[in-house]
Amino acid sequence: MTVTGRSPVRWVRASRRRGDLVSQLALVGLLSLGALVMLIPFVWMIATSLSREADIAMPRIPRLWPPDPSFFNYRIALQNLPLLHYYLNSIIVVGASTVGYLLFSSLTGYAFAKGRFRGKTFFFIAFLTTLLIPFETRMVPLYLLMKDLHLNDSLPALVLPFLVGGFGTFLMRQYISTIPDDYIDAARTDGAGEFLIFWRIILPLCTPALSALAILNILWRWNDVLWPLLVISDPHKYTVTLGLAFEGKSQGTYTGVALATATIAIMPVLFAFVMLQRRIISGITMGGIKG
Amino acid sequence: MDSPSVVSDEADALPTSESRRSTLLARAPRKRRPGLEGAAWRRRPRSGELVWYAFVGPPFLLLLLFVAYPTFETFKQSVYEQVGTHQQFAGLTQFSQLVEGSDLWSALENTVILGAAYLAIVIPLAVVVASLLNRVRRGATPLKVIYFLPQLTSSVAVAIMFNYVFQPDWGLLNGTLHRFGVQSTPLWLADPRLSFTGSRAAVTILAVWAGLGYFMLIVLAGLQAIPVELYEAAAIDGANAFQIWWRITLPSLRPTFIFLLMTGAFDAMSRFSDLWTLGGPSGSPAGSLQSVVVFLFQTAFEAGNMNRAAAIAVILFVLMLFLTIASFQASLAREFAERRRSGR
Repeated sequence: MTVTGRSPVRWVRASRRRGDLVSQLALVGLLSLGALVMLIPFVWMIATSLSREADIAMPRIPRLWPPDPSFFNYRIALQNLPLLHYYLNSIIVVGASTVGYLLFSSLTGYAFAKGRFRGKTFFFIAFLTTLLIPFETRMVPLYLLMKDLHLNDSLPALVLPFLVGGFGTFLMRQYISTIPDDYIDAARTDGAGEFLIFWRIILPLCTPALSALAILNILWRWNDVLWPLLVISDPHKYTVTLGLAFEGKSQGTYTGVALATATIAIMPVLFAFVMLQRRIISGITMGGIKG
Repeated sequence: MDSPSVVSDEADALPTSESRRSTLLARAPRKRRPGLEGAAWRRRPRSGELVWYAFVGPPFLLLLLFVAYPTFETFKQSVYEQVGTHQQFAGLTQFSQLVEGSDLWSALENTVILGAAYLAIVIPLAVVVASLLNRVRRGATPLKVIYFLPQLTSSVAVAIMFNYVFQPDWGLLNGTLHRFGVQSTPLWLADPRLSFTGSRAAVTILAVWAGLGYFMLIVLAGLQAIPVELYEAAAIDGANAFQIWWRITLPSLRPTFIFLLMTGAFDAMSRFSDLWTLGGPSGSPAGSLQSVVVFLFQTAFEAGNMNRAAAIAVILFVLMLFLTIASFQASLAREFAERRRSGR
């Protein structure tokens, strides 16, 4: 009795699951097609960069697999350009500016979220106002200022203007506001100073916000070309992006070499992303803003 | 109706925080070192206010030097002109010359056309992809990662890549068209005309490819924030899938759309890297890729006219300010409508 009673239900469920499976497969199929379109330019770029033939004559119909796979173009690209040196410059610039940006954002964020001092509203509005001023509107006087400070053609010029920003301050203030006052009060009663509280209690609790901010800042700084273009003219100080912008053009006649250069410039970033994708996706959604 | 609930909330919150504090106090002595006993229990003096200036002061000085000062300088330089070796007050001459010339207008036109075309394509496309992704039960993550990949590639690298993708004779796009037997293939980046196969169409395709992943992620977050109850209620009322999508999903995504439209418009207004990589400071071919920021760059660093460049920067600032105000109003209007509805 129970068996016969249950089996039609089970049959209906199973068929529904089958229908579900079909629609799921259709969905994934459709989305994979789109993903293929997103991927093909990358695949074609890598395939071309691995082909020596690409420097002489490109096939009229694109190939997604090199007929003569070799790393020849990569050797030439690395010989022509000190790409590894550019990498070092980029890492120094991005590292220093990100550490500074996180530190200053969380310092001001803590003060505006939990501090009590005269002029707090004034300072907070001053920081927020910078959100209204696009970088492009102040870049020319900023360039002249760097020239006056004799910082042109130096890596600090790429770091200093980006240590403080309204966005980081605002994000950190919002996040720190959600931390209960009880933690801070307890530490204060224990005699901890504000800097100790900031270092030992606030920062560890802010890890999600800090990592979101770090990811956004790394992407902004790594990919920035406009500012380096203004202040850097010495090829020894090029970042990866700036080097690519100049040299990618000048090597245009050798398609394979040019695309090998581009591949060297972007692959490590993509690789790091695939490793850290969960963090990065949640960070981008949290920050909700791109550069 | 509002005030009683607030009071009761506070009444609930106070005792709990008080009791939590007392438990922390009770536990505290175990951690402290014996020598500190007396000092640690004393209440902090009122002058503890000063410490906050140490938090805010140094960043504020950086802000003054690298943000406030250059902004002020931009405004100041825009009303001066270079005469011989010194700067002379020129009133609004720079602005009137810009407005009378054609370069600013064509740069503005390019920026608006490129921005509008980009947003008109990328937002609907992102909604479609995100809606589909939202229904995938397993294996959504790798797809998300793939759609997001171009977003992590610098626009310079993307531009270099697409320079070859759009190559007229053997580029990926025209080559694929050859493969399918199309004989007269478009010139893409070499064609400055305003058409669906010209230079501006090419950079729009590039931007959509590069930006889709970001827009998709934000729409996906918006979709997942819609309460399930709304869908259940609609299903009980017998709404079909399209009705549910039209009447529930799309209206619920309104704040997301406003956000994307505004951030997208800001990005479009300050678009530079990819256009400069492909077209140089003059926005070749025939100035068709010269955006406002590329024009600003050209004026300052090719023509060397810093005062004219400052005037362009002021115009850009005003345009961005209008966008900010518009976005504030759009989101505030939403807020008020919400409050009225909940008050009813």
